[in-house]
Amino acid sequence: VSIFCIGVNHKTAPVEIRERLAFVEEKIPDDLHRICQIDTVVEAVVLSTCNRVEVYGASDSPPLALNDLNDFLIHHFKIESEQVEFYKFQSEAAAHHLFEVASGLDSMVLGETEIFGQVKKAYAAALNSGATSRRMNKLFQQSFSIGKLVRSNTRIQQGATSVGAAAVDLAEKIFGQLQGCQVMLVGAGDMSRSTAQSLLSRGASEMIVTNRSYHKALELAEDLGGRAVHFDDWEEALHEADIIISSTSAPGIVIDAAMIREAMRKRRGHSLFLIDIAVPRDIADQVGDVDNAYLYNIDQLQILADEGLSCRERQIAICRKVIHDHIEKRGIQALAPPREQPRPKDPPEESSTSSGDDALGPFVPSPGNANQDP
Amino acid sequence: MALMALGFVFQSLFLWERGQLHNRCPITSGGEILIFISWSIVIMYFFLGRAFRLSLLGVFSAPMVFLFQSIALLLFWRNDPVPRPPAEVDRWLEMHASTSLFAYGAFALAAVAGVMYLFLDRQLKRRNHGQLFYNLPPIRYLVEALVRLIIIGLILTTAGIVSAFFMKQHPTEIHLALSGAVWLVYALVLAIHIFKRLRPRTLSICAIFSFLLALLTLSAV
Repeated sequence: VSIFCIGVNHKTAPVEIRERLAFVEEKIPDDLHRICQIDTVVEAVVLSTCNRVEVYGASDSPPLALNDLNDFLIHHFKIESEQVEFYKFQSEAAAHHLFEVASGLDSMVLGETEIFGQVKKAYAAALNSGATSRRMNKLFQQSFSIGKLVRSNTRIQQGATSVGAAAVDLAEKIFGQLQGCQVMLVGAGDMSRSTAQSLLSRGASEMIVTNRSYHKALELAEDLGGRAVHFDDWEEALHEADIIISSTSAPGIVIDAAMIREAMRKRRGHSLFLIDIAVPRDIADQVGDVDNAYLYNIDQLQILADEGLSCRERQIAICRKVIHDHIEKRGIQALAPPREQPRPKDPPEESSTSSGDDALGPFVPSPGNANQDP
Repeated sequence: MALMALGFVFQSLFLWERGQLHNRCPITSGGEILIFISWSIVIMYFFLGRAFRLSLLGVFSAPMVFLFQSIALLLFWRNDPVPRPPAEVDRWLEMHASTSLFAYGAFALAAVAGVMYLFLDRQLKRRNHGQLFYNLPPIRYLVEALVRLIIIGLILTTAGIVSAFFMKQHPTEIHLALSGAVWLVYALVLAIHIFKRLRPRTLSICAIFSFLLALLTLSAV
């Protein structure tokens, strides 16, 4: 018995295909049942995220299992075979692929951590459905160890890779946890909306939105669960904000150093983070010289994002070495032959079935099957 | 962290050995005092660094510990004090000396937090983020920790000064005046910060210069 993997990801299939191939989360146990009913498949795990749809499995004959699964997926998702080309890995290549996926090396946002949780969730779903046994259990447990090892021994997670993430990282570097931080949006553009949403997702508590068109400010404030302020009054609320995101279409400066000095006086030593994503810029350069106020414009955030991305790209080789060294040391556990069970002194007559996990045969949906080798 | 822990074990062994030799708290010479302060910096780092969520505090305080211990080593090399067991151990003297030196540990860490703040502030302002930037704690935590460390140092200094009044042999006037001066400087910094809200940059600079002043008074005492 060996292992295999079949699937598509963001590099091999456009979103129009990936969305057609996506497994519905609630139906995954039933789908796993169907997959394991294929004669050539003895174990299976389905990993379905926005950027990838993959089936990992164990089989006596991986090439046959891969062909069967190819047909299964095409029929199951009612897709033309010419429209999709699945990548297929067997044995060590399949294990390597999963290890890289769990480590975030195969992700759209290189080194992102969400995939690790998604792999864990996919494995848990298969385990609970009784679709895994020795091979998949060993393979996924090892992928979790490797994922942790890669993240703790390299800088693959360091730095932001997008303007929004760079803004959030800087906010956290200034304020620590963002719970309780107030965010003011000056201008109701799409970019400020997405940056504000990133800050909200990290715990920022209150949004103050102001815009020349009060109607737009009100609309965005409602969307973000904040409050709208008339454009004539926003300066009075300036000192309440910990983070100011400015993205108006004004032709000149909207926030100058004198306004920020006055706000800082009222803030009594609390830091202020200003993000200027407007072109032409809304915030005067001199604001950056005010004590305890930190100003970043769109270009500076983009530079940070680019640096973050290139730093992560430089880490790929190091991550691969970590994976390689781990495999050198421990081997691929899912491919190791099963340990011989000690022969009992007086075997009971009915214990004539093989104790090897490889002899489990096709999927039998029973909880015992899932817990043989957690 | 492991290296700091190993160093702490050696420091503790050294101080225990000297304590056995003198039959009292091992702060009988400049070298021992510097080792005791280094030991208190490390102990404060272990207890407070994690509680205040200050990663890298150890990295920044290690050079100070190294410097103090190197000077101590030179002092021992030039003039290692002979055992000086007192006829009678004065508990108040022991209390005065040890709490005062622990206060120096807290003030030292406050100065380290100040250096870390200035470093991070500079990197944020210049938008030039080096490798250390990603490992430094947030600006807000640094300022909070700095204030807490000054408060801890002040409490310990107060305890040290109060216990001096109960000592069998009263301290000299200059000793009391210098201890009072250190206490006053830190109390002023703290009071101004509480009532007028010192800007974090000013507070950090105050913490660094106050500690340098405290070190000067220590050498005079």
